[in-house]
Amino acid sequence: MAEIQLRNLQKRWGDFVGVEGFDLTIADREFLVLLGPSGCGKTTTMRMIAGLEEVSGGEIRIGDRVVNDLEPKDRDVSMVFQSYALYPNMTVYENIRFPLKVRGVDPASHDEKVMRAADMVELREFLHRRPAELSGGQRQRVALARAIVRQPNVFLMDEPLSNLDAKLRVSTRAQIKNLTHDLKVTTIYVTHDQIEAMTLADRVVVMRKGKVQQVGTPTEIYDRPANAFVASFIGSPAMNLIDGQVAEGTFTADGTAISGLDLPDGPLTLGFRAEDARLAEFATQAEITAPIYTIELLGDAVMISVRIGGALVSVKADKSFRAEIGTPVSIHVPARICHPFDADTGERV
Amino acid sequence: MKFTTFSAFVGPSVVMMLLFIAFPLISVFVQSFQVTQPLYEAVEVETCTPGFLTQTCVIETRNQPVLGEDGKIVTETRWVGLQSYANVLELGRAWDAVSAGSWRALMAIDFWKALRFTLSFTLLTLPAVIALGLALAVAINNAGKRLRGPVIFVSLLPFIITPVIGALSINWLFRGDGILTALMERASGQDISMFAQAWTIEVLMMLYRVWHVAPFAAIVFYAGLQTVSSDSLESALIDGASRWQRMKYIVIPHLMPLILFVGMIHLMDSYRVFEEVVGFSSQGHVISLQWLTYDFLQPDQAGNRSISRASASAMLTMVGIVILLIPPLKRSWRDHRKAH
Repeated sequence: MAEIQLRNLQKRWGDFVGVEGFDLTIADREFLVLLGPSGCGKTTTMRMIAGLEEVSGGEIRIGDRVVNDLEPKDRDVSMVFQSYALYPNMTVYENIRFPLKVRGVDPASHDEKVMRAADMVELREFLHRRPAELSGGQRQRVALARAIVRQPNVFLMDEPLSNLDAKLRVSTRAQIKNLTHDLKVTTIYVTHDQIEAMTLADRVVVMRKGKVQQVGTPTEIYDRPANAFVASFIGSPAMNLIDGQVAEGTFTADGTAISGLDLPDGPLTLGFRAEDARLAEFATQAEITAPIYTIELLGDAVMISVRIGGALVSVKADKSFRAEIGTPVSIHVPARICHPFDADTGERV
Repeated sequence: MKFTTFSAFVGPSVVMMLLFIAFPLISVFVQSFQVTQPLYEAVEVETCTPGFLTQTCVIETRNQPVLGEDGKIVTETRWVGLQSYANVLELGRAWDAVSAGSWRALMAIDFWKALRFTLSFTLLTLPAVIALGLALAVAINNAGKRLRGPVIFVSLLPFIITPVIGALSINWLFRGDGILTALMERASGQDISMFAQAWTIEVLMMLYRVWHVAPFAAIVFYAGLQTVSSDSLESALIDGASRWQRMKYIVIPHLMPLILFVGMIHLMDSYRVFEEVVGFSSQGHVISLQWLTYDFLQPDQAGNRSISRASASAMLTMVGIVILLIPPLKRSWRDHRKAH
């Protein structure tokens, strides 16, 4: 049982603020993903939980203990690093066994525990090899096995898939999801890849410049982003954002007029997702009319982009759609798919 | 690279190496099997007393060097095989001493006495240099950024000092009623003379060597510490390793090639120990193999140097170094093979 509570967690280096006012309760057995661009404070937050980084303010609780001043080894966490952080002079077996050995776990049980961990990540046939003789994916699996071998209360994973190639990333991702489901351990997972966040997480925390932008399930974050930053960070492609004006319930911008909005007059940033909008059959149905800027074949669909003001606006069309660049298209954007954001603060209106 | 370019770059140093390393080495090797001695002849000399009544004359036979036409002593070089080695090793006496079980008798033979000291000097200072070097490197690495420069400077000082001067200054600190001897006498309330018996001199010599060489090891290890993966260290921290376990399982294995390197350099250097014998004037009590070679080269009363025995002793010193280097070389070769 390990519920993790972060209370007003802060990290400062001199004047530089790394993490500010982080408040969150992570439920026991929850899979939480910290998501954000580089430098947003997600790794710092995880390192504070691990005990590798000192806390400048606030409180971290794991279970019923405040762990702020505990050594990393006393926090009962284990961590998987982006660089794998294996011990190059030891064999795979020795690597996996290391936490048991240094913690003085009864040597008689080592063999069984190492074998069980190795089996979980399908490493049994590589036990006698050294890390240098393994591929990237195998190394990451060794790191996973080493993390699970002593059955900690909390798993920390710092971009564990970033050094793998695209194909391996998908299969290892599936393996991680399956593994954490079986082990039923509280997991905190740091990534800058929103697809990893969406596929793995029970809940996602989106961070930017040291501050939490939104906490929610992947669906919540995807369907109802709290601000323009989250909207632009989640989804592939990211949400279309258009700057314009609202007057009497109608949003207008370059080549754009969306009516039926229940919003006060004034400047506004309007967002909608490429897959929610569609091409209009008749020009009269269209809220946006503009020449095609680029057209991309995705296989299952065709992505059409137009330029509105300075921004690129994309819409998904049927996979059989073909047109020349420069041909005008009409795009149907009903008011119900629109996400309104404050033009200045970016907050959801 | 073209052969001409290659040889233009490599040529000069090959010539230098042949001239200053290979040729003297071969020369020493050859001379260790030869003896060069002045040629003597027996001359009958008649000496007569200035006699008034009777003159007494005595005829005696005298050995004297043959003089050449230019007035110089004529020498003769003979091939003596392993005779010079036998002269240095004195195997007969050594065997007698061993079979009589007398350590004292064995130590009365210069070569075995020198070998005993040289070996103990080398093998005792080796772990001390590596341990102290490692400790210094870790201390430098852990020092704050502002302190690091001064700490490096201070720890390098012993390495910068000229060896003979360094040894002399330690010598004077302990010689007679030197400051440190006086301090030790005050602390213990006993009369202490550090230069009255062999073992205290040996301890001082070893302490000096460790003090002198450890900074070199420290700088090499410090450079190595910069390349230890911080992720591995942090991972070990979370896995539950103590400071000592992180050192043992991560840092030291990572530094192993450097430890072997420093160890080999130190083996070669300390097996040729010489400055300490001079600096501590220890030749009355302990001598090293290098000193033995030097001693053979000192002219005797007739002005002759035992070049052959010196060459044999120099060759034996080299053989000793090669034997000592075999284990570390084997190990680094094994590591090298394993890494590829």
